[in-house]
Amino acid sequence: MFGVTALLFCCLQYLSPEMRASLYIKDPRQLSQLDAVIEKYGLRKPVYVQYGIWLKQVAQGDLGYSETAKMPVADAIRSFFPATFELTVMTFFPILIIGVIFGVLSAVYRDKLLDHITRFVAITGYSLPSFVLGLLLLMVFYGRLHWFPPGRFTLDTDMLVHGDSFRHWTGLLTLDCALNGQWAAALDVASHMVLPAATLLYISVALLLRITRSSMLEELTKDYVRTARAKGVPESVVIRKHALANALIPVVTLSSLLFIGLLSGVVITETVFDFPGIGRWGVQAAQQLDVPGVLGSTMLAAFLFVLANLISDILYAVVDPRIRVGN
Amino acid sequence: MIVMMRPSLLAALLLGLLSASARAAAKNPDTYTYLTISDADSMDPAWAYDTASDLIILNVYEPLVMFDKASTEKLIPILATQVPSKENGLISADGRTYTFPIRKGVKFHDGTPMTPEDVKYSIERFMLMDRAAGPSSLLLEPLTGHPSTRDERDQIIPGIFADVQRAVSVQGDKVILRLPRPFAPTLAILASWAPVVSKAWAIKNGDWDGTEETWRKFNNPSKETSPFFEKANGTGPFALDRWDRKTKEFILTRNDHYWRAPAKLKTVVVKGVNEFGTRKLMLEAGDADTIYADRPLLSQVQNLPGVQIIDDLPTVQMDPIVFFTFKINTVGNAFSGSGKLDGEGIPSDFFNDVDVRKGFAYSFDYKGFINDVWRGKGAQAHGAIPKSLPGYSARQQTYTFDRKKAEEHFKKAFGGQIWEKGFHFTIAFNSGNLPRQTVCQILKRNIESLNPKFKIDVRSIEWPTFLDAQNASKLPLFVLGWNADYPDPHNFAFPILHSKGNYPMIQKFRDPEMDRLVDEGMAETNTAKRKAIYAKLQAREFDEVPHLVIVDTVLYRTARSWVRGWFDNPIFPDAPYGSYFYTIYKE
Repeated sequence: MFGVTALLFCCLQYLSPEMRASLYIKDPRQLSQLDAVIEKYGLRKPVYVQYGIWLKQVAQGDLGYSETAKMPVADAIRSFFPATFELTVMTFFPILIIGVIFGVLSAVYRDKLLDHITRFVAITGYSLPSFVLGLLLLMVFYGRLHWFPPGRFTLDTDMLVHGDSFRHWTGLLTLDCALNGQWAAALDVASHMVLPAATLLYISVALLLRITRSSMLEELTKDYVRTARAKGVPESVVIRKHALANALIPVVTLSSLLFIGLLSGVVITETVFDFPGIGRWGVQAAQQLDVPGVLGSTMLAAFLFVLANLISDILYAVVDPRIRVGN
Repeated sequence: MIVMMRPSLLAALLLGLLSASARAAAKNPDTYTYLTISDADSMDPAWAYDTASDLIILNVYEPLVMFDKASTEKLIPILATQVPSKENGLISADGRTYTFPIRKGVKFHDGTPMTPEDVKYSIERFMLMDRAAGPSSLLLEPLTGHPSTRDERDQIIPGIFADVQRAVSVQGDKVILRLPRPFAPTLAILASWAPVVSKAWAIKNGDWDGTEETWRKFNNPSKETSPFFEKANGTGPFALDRWDRKTKEFILTRNDHYWRAPAKLKTVVVKGVNEFGTRKLMLEAGDADTIYADRPLLSQVQNLPGVQIIDDLPTVQMDPIVFFTFKINTVGNAFSGSGKLDGEGIPSDFFNDVDVRKGFAYSFDYKGFINDVWRGKGAQAHGAIPKSLPGYSARQQTYTFDRKKAEEHFKKAFGGQIWEKGFHFTIAFNSGNLPRQTVCQILKRNIESLNPKFKIDVRSIEWPTFLDAQNASKLPLFVLGWNADYPDPHNFAFPILHSKGNYPMIQKFRDPEMDRLVDEGMAETNTAKRKAIYAKLQAREFDEVPHLVIVDTVLYRTARSWVRGWFDNPIFPDAPYGSYFYTIYKE
């Protein structure tokens, strides 16, 4: 996290102190106060001093004001992140389950019909731009069948969740609707996530399928598998207990990266489905030189990256008992 | 030919492969949904001066009088009980006093009664707030004779408060306006501007208390400090339920205690959806009743089942216009690069050189733009005044796309330094506006092709952020448009050409001769003489090129065919996409 934010800070030195100072200003009439802003944030001081000042602010919970979101960065993260988190949760576990199961089956039934189908799915998913797939899904499942509309929710749910009696327990709308006993609203919110989730699933699962398949193929050709088979161990046990356990290491690594990618926001999918997630905000902040916004969203991504790495390290030890801290 | 390909167009092509079936019955009959591209800037009627904001204000607040449906001439009383005229004695014989009997029994959305004192406060507040490049000049000019409360040095004009107080007074249940000199478009201005706000609500929420002692504090304030910025308490047919800036969505709910019969619609949703493909699908599915779609996208919405296209709608607008900023605020400004004429940026006075401006003017392919982007609908604009208004100058010379002339002017600019050193800066347009985006791209392509040292970046910016950067004079060149505030050539001449007008103030453009002609044109009552003045003004505009006017055109509207009660009034904000929702219903 320090590395990423420090790097970003170094890159920002390309902009003049005045240019960076103007980013703290919300009113043109304050332009006469640029020097005061430069002084306050130490924008002429060495980069490590500026970075220190910024870190101190962050430690106090002040991430600055995002001109793009028109709110403080911390509020913007609180506002945009839950939607992305919900979408990620809805997408990630199906990706994991489908990717691993079909990756294994594809390896086990190599060059059979199932393998061809999964490879076809993987190749098309990997090569289809997300906005094309998103629009195609929208055309069929919304335009034709009227099943899954874009956006976050319908007007009724909108009015409900913004009403005085609705309690926002977690910030996760599906869950909050359920906790408020509003099952129809929960279903409505979930139904709005089906198409973006399906788009992300189809595109992301392709990679996991391929990695699981190739990793399994590699394990299945190893000596210990041959030995187990020669000893008469049932094939299902060979696959599940022996080959799969060893094949999971790259799968865990990739899964954590996919998880971060989804959590950091998926810009095009969010744009096509008019889904107010964190990715769209991050990109708009970058386009509009909203430095506090860019720093905030980058810091969040870096934090998630660190967290996901930590989790994947723990999972390595779970899937492969030979890996332990200190070994 | 203009080459243009972006995700939304490719998406539009893909969408063309499939079409949804028509649905006979109106979906969500009580709810009207308009999908647009922009978020609003502010809900403060004295601050807002952009169509996205004014569309909401039009439906939440009310003026004294209003245009009668599609008419841009006939007025009907709204919060006044009569439209003043010389015939009914409510306009004095000398044309300088207007009397408005104020309607009784009208309540604000918070339930408090609307009084003549609220009307007085609203008009005074509208003038005295006078934010830079805001709408206050619309009333300041006719009511006080000053287009601003501040002078050239940005200092408060002595006695301006007294002038404002003198101009507006209450007598019993009447509000009297006194003009220093006759100003014919006064009623037309009041039809759209200075809608009535609640004085008590304003004071309770920390706004100006109506006294001389405190008004300076509220003069030219920052946008977000106003309690009206994101809240509203009007008397209009709809109340502002919520403005969600995260999702760029407005929800308006019917005012059931409206002084007229309540609106037929229960809820109105105005939402920004940047992706055209999504807007189109929502229209097809009936989840949107009307959508914003530029001319280049017309073929994508034609022949959709259940969708009606109404084309050739007249406009009283000039859009797009390419504005040059004469004194760019280069301090801390990424748009102007290094801020110097060193090939890596541009200096503050880059566009002060007429040869630079003419170089740009000859670099634009007007015919190509009109044919390819506007699909041939329209003609090249001859000046700031559109064809639909008197004062349009049919014989006025126009610029043409001429690379040789462009090169000649660029070679002369800054004593040849520009040609030698080159330049690099960023031009901006508001996200989602395809024609304006294309204007930027044409300029970039044509100008960069003249000299490899000429570099232009094009950037898309969200509407409120665009307005902030523009108001701070940070955009060296920006593409915007002008929709009439009232149907009179002065409303184009002043905001586009007078140094106190909206755009010249942002551009820091000042030409005393143009100022003189604009003032003269406003004061002249003889139509023929007035036309002659405007012809001179537009000739001067051609010579000075403070901006590039491009096309004089018509618009089209895309809506579900179940939408009833809509009328096109080109003066209304965001017409013909946005609407006065009171008359609309679905069946």
